[in-house]
Amino acid sequence: MPDYGQIQVGSGTLDARLVLGLAVVLFVLGAVGVLIRRNPIVILVCIELMLNAANLTLIMFAAQLHNLEGQLFTLMTMTVAAAEAVVGLAILVDIFRVRDVDDVDQLSELRG
Amino acid sequence: MSVPQAIFWVMAVLAVLGGLGVVASRQPIRSVLSLVAVMLSLSVIFLELSAQFVFAVQVIVYAGAVMVLFLFVVALLGPMRERPTTHLRFQWGLSILVAVVFGGFVYALLQGVGFRAPEANVAIDTLGTVEQIGTGLFTTYLYPFELTSILLLVAAVGAIYLSRGGRTASEVHRREEEEDRSA
Amino acid sequence: MALQAVALALLLLPAAGALILALSALSISRRVVRLLGPGVVWLGFLCTLVLFVDSLQSGGPHDFSYWTWIRSGAFSLPANLLVDRLSVFMCLVVTGVGGLIVTYAVGYMDHENDASYARFFCYMDLFIFSMLLLVLAGNFVFLIMGWAMVGLSSYLLIGFYYWRYSAVAAARKAFVMNVVGDIALVLAAFAIFAQYHQTTYAGVFGALPRADDPWVEVIGFLLLVGGIAKSAQLPLHTWLPDAMEGPTPVSALIHAATMVTAGVYLIGRMHPIFDLAFWAHSTAALIGAVTALVAATIGIVQTDIKRVLAYSTMSQIGYMFLGVGLGAYAAGFYHLLAHAFFKALLFLGAGNVIHAMNDEQDMRRYGGLWKQLRPTSICFLIGSLALVGIFPLVGFFSKELILGDAFSKPDQGGFPQVMWAVGFLTAVLTGFYTGRMWWIAFWGEPARDRPVEHPHEAPPVMLVPVVILTVLTCIGGALQVNAGFDIPWRQVEDFLSPVVGPLPWSPRGLEWIPTAATLLLGGVAFLAAYNFYVSRVWRPWSAAVPWLQRLLERKYYFDEIYDAVFVRTMDGVANVGDRFLEEPVIDGAPTGVAAVAEAGAGTLSLTQSGYFRTYVLVFVGGALLGLAVILLARTAG
Repeated sequence: MPDYGQIQVGSGTLDARLVLGLAVVLFVLGAVGVLIRRNPIVILVCIELMLNAANLTLIMFAAQLHNLEGQLFTLMTMTVAAAEAVVGLAILVDIFRVRDVDDVDQLSELRG
Repeated sequence: MSVPQAIFWVMAVLAVLGGLGVVASRQPIRSVLSLVAVMLSLSVIFLELSAQFVFAVQVIVYAGAVMVLFLFVVALLGPMRERPTTHLRFQWGLSILVAVVFGGFVYALLQGVGFRAPEANVAIDTLGTVEQIGTGLFTTYLYPFELTSILLLVAAVGAIYLSRGGRTASEVHRREEEEDRSA
Repeated sequence: MALQAVALALLLLPAAGALILALSALSISRRVVRLLGPGVVWLGFLCTLVLFVDSLQSGGPHDFSYWTWIRSGAFSLPANLLVDRLSVFMCLVVTGVGGLIVTYAVGYMDHENDASYARFFCYMDLFIFSMLLLVLAGNFVFLIMGWAMVGLSSYLLIGFYYWRYSAVAAARKAFVMNVVGDIALVLAAFAIFAQYHQTTYAGVFGALPRADDPWVEVIGFLLLVGGIAKSAQLPLHTWLPDAMEGPTPVSALIHAATMVTAGVYLIGRMHPIFDLAFWAHSTAALIGAVTALVAATIGIVQTDIKRVLAYSTMSQIGYMFLGVGLGAYAAGFYHLLAHAFFKALLFLGAGNVIHAMNDEQDMRRYGGLWKQLRPTSICFLIGSLALVGIFPLVGFFSKELILGDAFSKPDQGGFPQVMWAVGFLTAVLTGFYTGRMWWIAFWGEPARDRPVEHPHEAPPVMLVPVVILTVLTCIGGALQVNAGFDIPWRQVEDFLSPVVGPLPWSPRGLEWIPTAATLLLGGVAFLAAYNFYVSRVWRPWSAAVPWLQRLLERKYYFDEIYDAVFVRTMDGVANVGDRFLEEPVIDGAPTGVAAVAEAGAGTLSLTQSGYFRTYVLVFVGGALLGLAVILLARTAG
């Protein structure tokens, strides 16, 4: 039984597990960033990082399965990421315009 | 170690370093630039994985346009440093713990993961060309594609609405005072 | 087929009027109300005339079944109306006298505002509909519906001036006491269904046993309780005098002419049951006689003109109960008709006076109206004389018919003759209190504190119905002239005999003696009142027996006794319930639930820290859990 985890890359091969491992590392880094950073812009950036990690897995599986759908879906993800960035940044700009905030912890008016 | 593997490793190390930079930078602008570095290294890996078109999009649109938007906002809002806070001190350690456990779980999941056989009738050489992407987007996936365009439109309208003028802090303050007086 | 439609139209016209008025009361113009309110009643009267002509010709009862209302297993209930001579007779009274009174109300209620004006006619039409449903019902369910709905409309109309506490209290009292009767009637219907498995009149009467048995007696007594509550007989009578809080046309229509006679109708309609149930039937006569006497004695000391009339109504309905209770159904119904004429006349006449006196009802503050309100005074005098039973007014013939039938009924124990004696005494007292009322209110000098110096006669719309009723009072006696004599001119008896049967005994030929005595003594009592209350030649009788006057003024302490026995007891029970059940259990349950919810929400709201990062942490924790589940599943699998 051949090892389907080996993706053919040019003359050689690339182990899919390695790529997945890289994606996990980047995703966890992004998650940690969202959890511990308090600067709203940095939080957005970390979210982008997580999205990129997800994109990496999609691309990897597209190559591993010889299936185009992963790549197409990556394009959609990028679009969503762009939309999210636009709206998120717009909200940030709006908040900063009305109030002097430099920390998401200060945006806790909805406390129960 | 073959050449592609070597390239992957280099790019992987760069990406992880960039990721660390994103999380650890004290200034937002460094985070953003680190993210650009991550994106560029990832784009190379994309190219290795025969995703030529996505590679181009990643470089031009994502790293180019979207991140420029981030930079622009950072420049607009000026430098912001996180001050030491008294809130949620425990969260820092807890977050690291959660992240480590999360990573551990995923790592455990990856052990003994089985891969399905690739589709035999598709050659990897032709995967991800512009022609193929175009065919996919405008035939099978036309509907989601158009929906994404609507999503972008909505996002644009929302952004314009949110950032329209006349709501500065001083103005809001003035309006509140007027309301108090009239009431 | 055409008759079937006419009967349905008769029933539904007032209902439609009430519905239209109810839906548009706030926006409808007064002119439309004037037309619509009495109009539907008069249209109903036309329908009744059609049915009347038919029943004169064919005479046979029609049981119009429109559809099957309920069918459930062996139980089947048709929506049927029974149009026989008795129900046509009642419909004539309800729509004819009712039409006159509702027309009168067009003038009487004129000073109300638009919404109240429409509301009044809505209630009146509702009442007419309910009363027609009651008398036209062909089964016990419709009967109960009509029975309860006349109680409802009576309640609504007594409490018409809902901003007056006394009116609301009187309405509530009337409703509660009526419900006592409603429950008895419902129980009677249950008992009938349990015994005979029938719901229609025809079915029930066909299934009755041939002889008296305990169940027939039970049913008879339950029906009787229903009847005495609705007809304000002892001991369920205390609501009727208080019901005079309603507008005067209401008192005339509901509390004199129609609704309060429903008990008489019930006994007449259920006569196959009462003919079997000897004890219940005799009790009806006894209650009637006692009520007649008691109410007449109370009437002597009342000062509110409407209350005098209310007690006289009770007394006259007592006569009717006496008549139908002894089996002289036609006599009872003839008196019902006569009473509808002259008592409506008296109430409407009193309404004219009250209208002229700025709503003053204490007749001691009238006096001398004879010279200023001549037409009303004459009509009122004729009505009063009819109430006393003076020849040749309708009251003479109908009352003497009852008394004569009682006098001549053969019975070994002499029970009917005792009843006659009570009725005779009542007739004399009637002469006295009626005379007192008339002399005080209309004769003599104007009272010093009379509210209006120069009263105006009522407008034509109020006077014409009074005059029509006066004419009816004068000529109504021509229907049946055999009071005291064996003259074979018995229109009422002949008309009703297909339903209630002919009088089962024949006169003795001596009735003219008591009749003459009653006429003479009643008239003398009427005139004697002049010497007591106007010329004051004689000392007031109450000076001799002050305790009796006190007893009568307190109305034999019925209200006080009911208050002590029922109201206080219920208050006590309610207080105990309030303290030990309401507060800890019924109130405690919702407040306890609310407290638990509040505490729970307060605790849970701590999770709403408002910190974005905490939320993300929880989110990631959730993802972690999901992963853990997947991992576990894989290790296990």
